[in-house]
Amino acid sequence: MFQEDGSSSVTSSPLQMFPMMSLSPGTMSPYPWLKELKPEERGLYLIHLLVNCANHVASGSLENANIALDQISHLASPQGDTMQRIASYFSEALADRVLRAWPGVYKAFHSTRIPVVAEEILVKKMFFEFLPFMKVAFVISNQAIVESMEGEKMVHVIDLNATEPAQWCALIRDLSARPEGPPHLRITGVHQRKEVLEQMAHILTEEAENLDLPFQFNPVVSKLENLDIEKLRVKTGEALAISSIMQLHTLLGSENDQRKKSPSTPMSNGIGVHLQRVAHMNQSTLRELLEKDTVNGYSPSTDSASSSPLSSIHSPNIDSFLNALWGLSPKVMVVTEQDSDHNAKNLMERLSESLYFYAALFDCLESALPRASLERLKMEKMILGDEIKNIIACEGAERRERHEKLERWSQRLELAGFANVPLSYYAMLQAKRLLQSYNSDGYRIKEENGCVVICWQDRPLYAVSAWRFRR
Amino acid sequence: MMSGDVFSVPSSAAPNVFPHQQLQLPNPNPKPNSTSTSTSNLPSAAKKKRNLPGTPDPDAEVIALSPKTLMATNRFICEICNKGFQRDQNLQLHRRGHNLPWKLKQRANKDQIKKKVYICPEKTCVHHDPARALGDLTGIKKHFSRKHGEKKWKCDKCSKKYAVQSDWKAHSKTCGTREYKCDCGTLFSRKDSFITHRAFCDALAEESARITTVGPNTSLNFRNDLSHHGNLMNPQPNLQHGSTFPNIPHLGATFRPEFGGMSAGNSLLGGDPHQQKPRLSLWLDHQANSQLNPNLDHHNSNLFIASSSSTGLPDMIQMASSNLFGSTSSMGNYANLSLSPLPPQGLKEEPVTNKANTNPMADSLSSLYNSDSQNVHHSSSKSSPSSAPMSATALLQKAAQMGSTKSNPNFFGNTLGVMMSSSSPSSSSTNTLSFAQNRSELHQVFGKQQPENPSPKAADGLMNFSTATTTTITNLDHHHHSMIQSTGAQISQSANSQLNLHSGLMHGVEHSLTRDFLGMGGDGGAGGPFLPQELAKFASMSSAMGLSHFTSNH
Repeated sequence: MFQEDGSSSVTSSPLQMFPMMSLSPGTMSPYPWLKELKPEERGLYLIHLLVNCANHVASGSLENANIALDQISHLASPQGDTMQRIASYFSEALADRVLRAWPGVYKAFHSTRIPVVAEEILVKKMFFEFLPFMKVAFVISNQAIVESMEGEKMVHVIDLNATEPAQWCALIRDLSARPEGPPHLRITGVHQRKEVLEQMAHILTEEAENLDLPFQFNPVVSKLENLDIEKLRVKTGEALAISSIMQLHTLLGSENDQRKKSPSTPMSNGIGVHLQRVAHMNQSTLRELLEKDTVNGYSPSTDSASSSPLSSIHSPNIDSFLNALWGLSPKVMVVTEQDSDHNAKNLMERLSESLYFYAALFDCLESALPRASLERLKMEKMILGDEIKNIIACEGAERRERHEKLERWSQRLELAGFANVPLSYYAMLQAKRLLQSYNSDGYRIKEENGCVVICWQDRPLYAVSAWRFRR
Repeated sequence: MMSGDVFSVPSSAAPNVFPHQQLQLPNPNPKPNSTSTSTSNLPSAAKKKRNLPGTPDPDAEVIALSPKTLMATNRFICEICNKGFQRDQNLQLHRRGHNLPWKLKQRANKDQIKKKVYICPEKTCVHHDPARALGDLTGIKKHFSRKHGEKKWKCDKCSKKYAVQSDWKAHSKTCGTREYKCDCGTLFSRKDSFITHRAFCDALAEESARITTVGPNTSLNFRNDLSHHGNLMNPQPNLQHGSTFPNIPHLGATFRPEFGGMSAGNSLLGGDPHQQKPRLSLWLDHQANSQLNPNLDHHNSNLFIASSSSTGLPDMIQMASSNLFGSTSSMGNYANLSLSPLPPQGLKEEPVTNKANTNPMADSLSSLYNSDSQNVHHSSSKSSPSSAPMSATALLQKAAQMGSTKSNPNFFGNTLGVMMSSSSPSSSSTNTLSFAQNRSELHQVFGKQQPENPSPKAADGLMNFSTATTTTITNLDHHHHSMIQSTGAQISQSANSQLNLHSGLMHGVEHSLTRDFLGMGGDGGAGGPFLPQELAKFASMSSAMGLSHFTSNH
């Protein structure tokens, strides 16, 4: 929608942007009255500007989008009040989307970026520490696991994103203290960084040893979309639990977009060029060349051709992934997902829905940390800001933050052969208590068809649900 | 390699040392490929180890050997040459060489099937219990030596002692070949010890300077757990319910009925040790507030007893409390974690902001683990976020409300019917009008500034925006028609439930959001059906604001 419109209008006359940019000099602030807005007015105006800007971006009228972004830049600030912060990240995301219409510019613009994996892990740790959502998810998940593993002697838990050992340390403690005696516990952690898993193994092994609980850790270094189910090494006779915390939505991408995208442009272009070149040669060399190409992966066309069909095999869409999990016949699978629909095809819908969602999350941080807090800034930028950017700026396989509502997940999981396991009263009680310890009346919890929804004020943010294999 | 090394610090516990690590740990590992080997070794080692203390076959014959027998290296001595053997069978085979009479035990099939398991003679040991007996003789011997025996074998290089000779041999082979050196000067022969150490080195610089052997591994790790779980469950342990008076009755109301059964059921367990610690740390404020809600305190303590059996919560809270009172080192660690990356001027800037959250960061953080009196003060100075005028959530709601002069929630249900039945042309015109009205309100908001600073460009910009917006509204609206129809039932529920229409009832919100944003609906989607007279009013309003060309534009 946007990409076609935007790129075509832009490539026809890419220079048309520049006069506009020079007409609105950022240094002189052409909108002095903007400075005099009261915070509330400023917030309202920022919302207005964001929505309008998004409309322009969606419709490809980049001049207007540029003006709006310019105005936003005078009002927004990542260190300001909540709305100023939100506006900063949303405007950045919109600009990112605009920039992606020029892949060359975009790549060059980001070419020197230094990956900060360690920093990302650290910031996720902060998110876990300062906000209750992960902890509530852990507490409820563990309770559901402990309940469904009652009496089991061999327990196998699969963590689809093994970053945080705290959850499993807690589980180890729960299981070692259970009245019927501790089971043999195996935890399979899936993560793409070996180091993360190593560390997890270390901490958990130590914990299990302290409590004298028979324990094994099975690390699976893999991205979730490339996960080889065999590597989970699920054995007959063991009771299986699966925990997925904010992971499944990343698999929604391959459902529709990816397949459409891969076979079309790059591959056919490459082959076309290739054949033209080949046409000048005689018959025998053509065959040789083709054979050579397929063997060596010589041309860029074969490269992209080999990667995209492979990735469509190796990145199973959500249904086949859920089916594969179903095939392991888990006794319980606990799923935590963002409870908001950020997966609409339409940019405006995604924008408005995510604006509410992230406004609530920014408000949570506002209540938890002072504005000058560097931790807060990092969490906002590297977690929330990145999610916003992904939701707003990306399309196709690149768009991974495809959050959907609990209702949709329920349907999907039921279709895949799972039956809902209502969360126990006790699980909810624990969640409530945990939230209360945050001393903020903003956090709320509600039950919805046996699932738990964690809210800020009245805004649903995260939903935890438990499922089991159904024949 | 770089990132790997940075990574080898447990992120769980030492976020504060990350930047430090990047600078100071170019390559602590002399053999680059040992990273990969240790990965593969780690789980398999764990597996091997963990299989030993397994629950044995219940049918197995349980054998209890004396310590002497277990420690004896050569119980069976050859009378001719005095050569000793560990097993009788071996001695018998040896005797054959001397042409002495010998006999090998002929095992019947039954005996072979009959498994033997061995218990540890040490009464305090977990493996003294037949249920946890070990499956082979060598295993129990090594276990007994390692855990309860004298460490006779000392490594010449690092002075580490071993009770089992084979352990010592294995160590001697690798000792010194792999070394992990921390900045603090501590040497480690094992990578995992090093990793654990690194995680705490900065926070525990003083302590680790004193400890020079590999030994600290366990104690450090324990501390790791403490701080870890203290943080996990309770980042603000003392801030609880310090201020919010309205919150307290609410709490009581929520929990009294829920806890009734539990407290009755568990009152027998009054002596449970869990009761004390959590009360000291977490529930102190409840005690302070007990005159407000006398039952609350009682119920809380009961919760702990009730939960102690099957959940991690009390454990963790206990951890938190012991953390609070005991381990100062982890306190320091936590403070470092939070404060170290923060530039000092950042601290000073904070009180400038207009939110009531006035405490400087250092205060709020140190208060996490300090005396609660301070924290009560802190939390009471904090205004409740819901009432904060500047919250983004509230602003969004307000922005939505500006789409309409109506704020009657009762319209919500009605709107649906209208929306569903209305044809697209009429709804799109509605959009246009309400949008214009939205604009006019924005102009009202910013009206005072505009005359003073006439900015034609800004006005132009605004106009441009609105035209583009109206074009897209129509599409969106179509989409929402279908959504509205499918979720109509829930929406009408939500209309009843709360005055605040942006309530958590997700469909109501979902429905309202988009529309509100685009200035069509207004208050929580309750913009109301646009009656003809209202439409006229809006139109006149917008023309009065000099914006008539917006509507005519369309």
